[in-house]
Amino acid sequence: MSPARYEDWMLLDLEPGADLAEINAALRLRRALYQPGSLATYNLLDDDERRTMIERIDEAFRRVTGHEPPPANSPPTAEPAAAPKVDEPSGPAPDSRTEPGALLAFYRRSRGMSIEQLSAETKIRVTLLQQLESENIDELPEAVFVRGHVLTYARALGLENPNEIAALYLAKVKLD
Amino acid sequence: MIIEADVHAPSGPRIWAIGGGKGGVGKSVITTNLAVAVARTGERVAVVDADLGGANLHTMVGVPSPRMNLSDFISRRVATLAEIMTPTPVENLWLISGAKAMLETANPNFGQKGKILRHIAMLDVDHVFLDLGAGTAFNVLDFFLVARKGILVVVPEATSVENAYFFIKAAYFRKLKQAQPRTQVKAAVDAVMNSEARARVRTPRDLMAQVMTVDADAGAALMEEASTFSPSIIVNRVERAEQARLGDEMGSACRDYFGIRLQCLGSFPADNLVCRSVDERRPAVDLFPQSSFAAAVRSAASAFVGVPTEAAG
Repeated sequence: MSPARYEDWMLLDLEPGADLAEINAALRLRRALYQPGSLATYNLLDDDERRTMIERIDEAFRRVTGHEPPPANSPPTAEPAAAPKVDEPSGPAPDSRTEPGALLAFYRRSRGMSIEQLSAETKIRVTLLQQLESENIDELPEAVFVRGHVLTYARALGLENPNEIAALYLAKVKLD
Repeated sequence: MIIEADVHAPSGPRIWAIGGGKGGVGKSVITTNLAVAVARTGERVAVVDADLGGANLHTMVGVPSPRMNLSDFISRRVATLAEIMTPTPVENLWLISGAKAMLETANPNFGQKGKILRHIAMLDVDHVFLDLGAGTAFNVLDFFLVARKGILVVVPEATSVENAYFFIKAAYFRKLKQAQPRTQVKAAVDAVMNSEARARVRTPRDLMAQVMTVDADAGAALMEEASTFSPSIIVNRVERAEQARLGDEMGSACRDYFGIRLQCLGSFPADNLVCRSVDERRPAVDLFPQSSFAAAVRSAASAFVGVPTEAAG
């Protein structure tokens, strides 16, 4: 077998000397790029050109690893479970000082995330999330826990300044 | 490099051009929001509506009826672009409004175009964001090529991707043409294009390979010109995780196929709050700062902030 050339690494989009895990990952990505349904190459290459590219990529894999590439039939991609429909938020974004709970709910809905999904992600109980959103002070735990929950909530949504939101939330619920 | 050297005076603004072949992919929304996000960091920004046929950027930055626009400059009612630079409700952000559907200004001639570009380079701001029209007319391509960075906006749809590749190809050939005033290069290109080798030229990369065989010096000159062509891409309205990879995948395909570097600046999520912000005529980064779209814009905008003024990239 002929040794790997620089071109082979190029074909796999790798720096020479990458480890086996990187090479395997690269093979998957590079093959996916030239699969018949690939949006990124659909208009650029015809079916023959695509097959040729996949063959070249497999050949590069052989030279780089000294092994046969794994069979090309990639595992069928599971249909993602239909996400529950989430009501889109309406009206302007609530004020973070006067309605921090409503603000959290607003941005949760804008991301199409149900309260159950958020619960699965944050490991915070659904009822507690509902209480946080409605600022149900009587039912909320101690301030230190509320702070932690709000931080977790804000981070799960990828909001800017989770600390600031948590501070505003605590200021609000203490004032009332 | 020839044109870039003219336009980028050491103290001049950094120029970013946003195009993308297809209409309706969100160029103006992205231009506006990137510009606002950069302005919010304290750097001074001008957005220029260079969609010379269908200007509407003024609505998006909250200036309903700009007093003057590019037609006033092209028709010489004002002498400098600075005179038509309008303040916007956003601090540190100014607008140069586009000409409103005037056919004669939609296709400025070579001299007018050069004049617009020279004056853009003299604006006393840190950044200029050019919102280009749809399509691949020479005007659009020239504005795209003259910028520090040309940015293409695509959406994860076959037609948009096709248009983007068409745009990249057109811009690339245009860029190579700029190397051609050198007689030797032109002669070598003509020799290839007038021979039976023409049939083998499907991509700019093929052209360079063929020119190389005819005249190695001319080929090297073309290669040098080509190496300065590295557009960027933003994928807009991403709904599913695999769509977020489209930008990087197109980058790989461009490298394999055209031999150029296409860098992905970001994937912006489909977010209903963006439509709402357009209805409200305010930038989403201001109206819904915590939206997933705004977060993605701010993250992409950080690549523009603090870039040195000297033409380096």
